[in-house]
Amino acid sequence: MNAHDIERALASREPTTDTEQGLERFRARVAREGVQPVVAPARRRPPTRWLQALAAAAAVVLVASALALSGVAGTVLTIFEPKSVTAVPVTQADLAQLGSACRGAHLEECLGAYGTFAWTTPPQPSEVRSLAAASAAAGFAVLAPAAPLPQGVTGATRYGVINRSTATFSFSADAARAAAAKAGRTIPPLPKNMDGAKLTITGGPAAIQVWGAADPAATTTPNTLGGIPTLIVGQAKAPTVTSDGVTVDELRGYLLQQPGLSPQLAAALRAITDPSSTLPVPVPAELAISHPVKVQGVDGLFIGDSTGLGGAVIWQKDGMMFEVLGSLTETQVLAVANSLK
Amino acid sequence: MEATAPEHGREAPAQLPTAFERLFRAEYPRVVRVAFRVLADQDEAEDVAQDVFLSFYRAHPATAEYAAAWLHAAAAHTALNALRSRGRRTTREAAHAIPEDAASPDPADAVAVAETRDEVRAILARLSERDAVLLTLRYAGLSYAEIAGAIDVRASSVGTLLRRAEDAFRRELA
Repeated sequence: MNAHDIERALASREPTTDTEQGLERFRARVAREGVQPVVAPARRRPPTRWLQALAAAAAVVLVASALALSGVAGTVLTIFEPKSVTAVPVTQADLAQLGSACRGAHLEECLGAYGTFAWTTPPQPSEVRSLAAASAAAGFAVLAPAAPLPQGVTGATRYGVINRSTATFSFSADAARAAAAKAGRTIPPLPKNMDGAKLTITGGPAAIQVWGAADPAATTTPNTLGGIPTLIVGQAKAPTVTSDGVTVDELRGYLLQQPGLSPQLAAALRAITDPSSTLPVPVPAELAISHPVKVQGVDGLFIGDSTGLGGAVIWQKDGMMFEVLGSLTETQVLAVANSLK
Repeated sequence: MEATAPEHGREAPAQLPTAFERLFRAEYPRVVRVAFRVLADQDEAEDVAQDVFLSFYRAHPATAEYAAAWLHAAAAHTALNALRSRGRRTTREAAHAIPEDAASPDPADAVAVAETRDEVRAILARLSERDAVLLTLRYAGLSYAEIAGAIDVRASSVGTLLRRAEDAFRRELA
């Protein structure tokens, strides 16, 4: 097939478009669905729904990650240390089912339906003044993107650091039963050997660089999207999880038994061949696309909203997790990711 | 995606802002054409166009300078998502589409065209998102400047990016 054939196949026919009919159909749909036009002032790159959806999905991934981990009964072993990332499609129905225990964004409340969660060392974010200060506070060299940054990413960089944090989670059959009863739901009983099993989760330290975020001390915030960052670069020591008594297959099996799990999510979780080293990243099935990419010479995952105007790339390299996200195209996000040094 | 079901018409049609109606009239044919390049199906292309305009209507002012670029990019991405999710057409369905191709009155030639068209779309679904969007927008008739606006690159880069996309396309054929 040559270029002419490509053109012939792609452009041989023209659609017959009736614009007025299309407009009439649109008016009827707007009325039927009660859709209101936006009234906000024009912004060059408005925040897209994927940011909100990803925030909602964050609670789910915490549960999914905790439940998709492995362990060896009777011993304390490092059972999870991500060496790769993979997308798991999360539908609105999954969010409703799995997230029904998540009355807020707090991990404690979200996991409360399955046991007891407690911080040993809670995360304490703090803002620092420079890249050097961020590196010093994090205890590792924080990589920064090379100039020039994509068009639209302007303003001063802000730096945040989160300390190394540790938490424990103890599975409890009683808690699971009580939470389910309170929510009026029926969930499968916790397997006996999972009852009382403890996971120790360690994350960070982490460093975050943000462009375009509103400075609360400033009275005006030029070059921002109403305080929503245009670019975020995150870097963290890969999280680890240890277990004293539950196996990966039991945890994954229990998650797969949860009612209302979509076939897509179930299939994606089953397809993870090595759950002890694969970080499942939730991708809102209705709103986002994802596909593997090469970044910094390793395999990573690109996630973007379906309009192509927002995107994130996540990868693991040398024991560190990296993420670059922003209201940018895939090309721009990858360019920023590959320029980190 | 909204189904192409008949409207029951309980509610009176909505009054849309004048600026939005102007934008709709100016861009609807091209948004449909972009989606049609990917999907080769009139109904599906119009469904995509309706969804794209609704997403825009919900979140963006019609007077935004980026409106047309946003609509073109969203049409390509949404259509590619629809293409990937619908899977491959059956041979029978593909054959069904043959008589519509007035350029190929000969049945054997028409089958060849239909097979080519299916192959092209299978490759589009496999290409990187950017390459697929570039080819889609180009063959939908957008200028280099318009493509540059849609994918947010310099117009001077579009020619190079298009050549790379066509090379990627040919590699997929090999």
